[in-house]
Amino acid sequence: MNGRRELWFAWWTTVVFYQLFGVVFFVLTRTQPPPDPGWDASRVAQWFHDHHFGLLVGFGIMFLITGMTAPQNALIAYSMRRMSVSRAFGYSYLVLYSLSAIPGMLLMCIVLTVGAMRPDRDPELTSWLYDFAFLSFVGTMGVFLIGSLVWMLAILIDKNGVFPKWFGYLNLCNALTEVVVSPAWIFKHGVLAWNGLIAWWIDMVVFGIYTGVFLMQLRKMIQREDFGDGPLPDSAPDQESVPSTMASSAS
Amino acid sequence: MTDKSMKFVPGQPDMWAFVLFETLVFTSYFAVYLIFRTASPQLYLQSQAHLSLRIGIFNTIVLLASSWAVARCVQASRDGRFASASTNAYLATALGFVFLGSKIFEWAKVIRSGFGFSTNEFFMHYYFLTAIHCLHVLIGFVALGVIIYQLRSPARRSQELVETGATYWHTVDFLWVLIFAMLYVVR
Repeated sequence: MNGRRELWFAWWTTVVFYQLFGVVFFVLTRTQPPPDPGWDASRVAQWFHDHHFGLLVGFGIMFLITGMTAPQNALIAYSMRRMSVSRAFGYSYLVLYSLSAIPGMLLMCIVLTVGAMRPDRDPELTSWLYDFAFLSFVGTMGVFLIGSLVWMLAILIDKNGVFPKWFGYLNLCNALTEVVVSPAWIFKHGVLAWNGLIAWWIDMVVFGIYTGVFLMQLRKMIQREDFGDGPLPDSAPDQESVPSTMASSAS
Repeated sequence: MTDKSMKFVPGQPDMWAFVLFETLVFTSYFAVYLIFRTASPQLYLQSQAHLSLRIGIFNTIVLLASSWAVARCVQASRDGRFASASTNAYLATALGFVFLGSKIFEWAKVIRSGFGFSTNEFFMHYYFLTAIHCLHVLIGFVALGVIIYQLRSPARRSQELVETGATYWHTVDFLWVLIFAMLYVVR
C-alpha cells in the first residue's frame, strides 16, 4: 500500500479543480469578476444574452467536476486527523465544507443556467435570477468563515507541527475577508457592493494568496508524512516510497 | 524553537507574519478610503464634521492605556511577577471593554443623528472601518484570554504565548490610531 500516492491524488485533484474553476468562472461564464449589482432588468437580460453559451457550457462543466472538491475536503480533514487535536475538528470541517458547495457555488451555477436557458424570458424574472445567483454566491460566506476558523484553531493548538503557526493565523485573515464581503447584502453600488473594490477585489487577492499558500502547505505535509501519529518529521522521509536502488543511485 | 538566541521579535514570529499581512490588508482599505475621499473632498469634510472628535480622542486614550497595561503585563511576566502580570492583563481587558462600550455609544449617537451605514460614502467607510476594527478587538479578547490563562497556572506560563497575545493587542491599538487619524483628524 502506498498511502502517499493516495494523498498526492487528492492534492493533484485539488490543483486541477482550482484551474478548471478559474477557467469556468473567469473565462467561460465571465461571472468573476462579478458584473454590476446596480444594473436594471434590461441590462441584466442583455448580460445573459451576451454570455448565453459561456454560461451553459461553463456551468455544465462545473456540475461535472464539482465532485472533485470531495478529495480536497478529505485531504484538509486528513491534515487535522494527523494533528494532535480531537477528531471533532476534521469532522466539523468536512460537514461545513460539504455543505458550503451548495450556497457557495452550486446554487449560483443552477440559477444562472436557468436564466441563460430561455433568452426570451421576461427581463424582470431574469433580473430576479441574477440577484438570487450572485447574492447566494457572494453573501453566504458564513460556512467558509467557520470552516477557516476550525482549521485555524486546529493548527494553533496542534502539537505535531503539521503546519507552521503562521499558516493558522493566515486562516484567520481569510476568515476575516468573509466578514468583509457581508455588506454586499446592503450595497448595490460602491466599494462594498458584490463587485466592489473592497468586497471583491481586495478579498479576492487575499483569497488567492490563501489558496496558493494552503496548496503549498498541503504539499509539504504530504512530503513530510511518515504515517505515524506523533510529531511530523521536519523533512521528507522518502525511504518508503522511493525504491532503495533508486535512492542510492540518486545520491 | 531551535535557537532561542536567534529570536529577534517578541513572541511567535508567526504572529508577526499575521501582523504584517493584516496591516497590508488594512493599508489597502485606507488607500481605497483616501482615493474616494480625494474624489469628493467636500462630502467627506461635511460628513466628518458630524463625528465627535472628543469621543474619538477618548477611544484612542482608552486603547493606548490598554496597550500600556499589556506592555506592563509582559514586563512583569518576564520578571517573574505573575500576580502583577495578571492584574495588568485584566486591566487591559477591562479597558478593551470600555473601548467597545464607547464605540457602541458613539455608533448609537451617530445613528440617532440620522447617519446610517448607507447614508453616504463617508459613513459607509466610517462604519466599515470601525466595525472591522471592533471585530479585531473581539478577537483581541481571545488573545488576552490566552495571556490570562497562561499566567494563571505555574504549569503553563509560556512567556512566548504571553508576548504573542500582547503583539496582537498592540496591533489592534496601532490600527485604531491610524483609523482615528484618518476618520476623525485628517481634514
